[in-house]
Amino acid sequence: MSTPTPLTERYVSATVRSLKPAAQEDVRSELQASIADAIEARLEHGESREAAERAVLTELGDPDILAAGYADRPLHLLGPRYYLTWLRLLKTLLIIVPLCVVGGVALAQTLAGASVGQTIGEVAAVGASTVVHLCFWVTLVFVMLERTGADTGTDWDVGQLPEPSVDGAGKGELIASLAFLALATGAVFWDHFRGLISGDGQALPILNPALWPWWIGSLLVLMGFEAALAIALYARKRWTTDLAVMNTILAVLIMSILVTLLGNDQLINSEVIAYAEAQHGVERDTFDVLGIVTGFAIVGISVWDIVDGWRKTARARGVDVAEG
Amino acid sequence: MSDVLETHLQELRRGTVVLACLRLLRTAEYGYRLLEQLESRGFATDANTLYPLLRRLEKQEYLTSEWNTDEARPRKFYRTAEAGIRLADTMTEEWRLLTTAIATLTEAED
Repeated sequence: MSTPTPLTERYVSATVRSLKPAAQEDVRSELQASIADAIEARLEHGESREAAERAVLTELGDPDILAAGYADRPLHLLGPRYYLTWLRLLKTLLIIVPLCVVGGVALAQTLAGASVGQTIGEVAAVGASTVVHLCFWVTLVFVMLERTGADTGTDWDVGQLPEPSVDGAGKGELIASLAFLALATGAVFWDHFRGLISGDGQALPILNPALWPWWIGSLLVLMGFEAALAIALYARKRWTTDLAVMNTILAVLIMSILVTLLGNDQLINSEVIAYAEAQHGVERDTFDVLGIVTGFAIVGISVWDIVDGWRKTARARGVDVAEG
Repeated sequence: MSDVLETHLQELRRGTVVLACLRLLRTAEYGYRLLEQLESRGFATDANTLYPLLRRLEKQEYLTSEWNTDEARPRKFYRTAEAGIRLADTMTEEWRLLTTAIATLTEAED
């Protein structure tokens, strides 16, 4: 009687297979004994052995659910602990990233002299795959956070209340900043080694290859500092004067490098320009206009970044005053 | 019974099984026998909730366990540990406070 029937054996095996090896034997023996006890109780009420076994196992339910109970494992992809952070970050990234990527692709296609139809097709394809990738990877990261029980600083107290909402120094902003810097770095490397646009079957980098390693290296170092700044901002939980000063210095340095290179016609790969001119009849004037627009965009974004930092610093100080 | 009603009742009962186990297991007992005892004392519990719960309480050191191999069928016996007895006392005290609080609610309605 101590040997379990095949059905019970199958049920118990299905339950313990996902448990830690150390617990498997113990749970197996205990569960077998419990099932046998329950079957016996039913036999005493005159049920047939087969009917009793089926009833007992049916009552115990899906072995995977039972196993989740033993292993203390959640039966959902993402629990309430991370759901809101996940949702906020995903929303933010879904607004920013596809827009940047689509803009970049559109610009690259235009420079390469693609037709309107081609450009729209490329933009749609890249945009759609960006959205899919974004949703997948962000969700994957959060699922891993949840499964490993990583600490996300969820010990909430009222003191934290004004800070994340007022000065953008919360976890969401940190992850968004780091994700953006990682994407930008990835794009620079991809451009250099694989080429963002292809002409005549060969890949052409958009950024001037002569900028490697020193200019690009300096830019990457500055982006590293940007990442450090984002982390420092998160650690301090608020904008402070020294952070705003750092932010200003970094923005000015990056802006100076980019505008200088742009002004000296060193930023964009001359082969790309030659290719567009030769193959697609893009006129020299068009590049001048594009250059000016890019220059204004760089200056505009940098100035906005600097002003934004000081504005948030002032507001954080306002909170201090209000608290004091 | 409607699902909504069932959910509310489940929420109300949640935790009482833990308290009942800690009290009953002052005398060592094995899983299925404990299930029967809970049933007969009015704590309707599913086997698939109870068995993982026992292991969890053991892991949290509120219960201790021991295999009894004297009989034909080896069984794992659980017993309430020192910490489990203290936890049961705290929970019972909390339950008393809640009972009083609920009583004042119903009195207010009369």
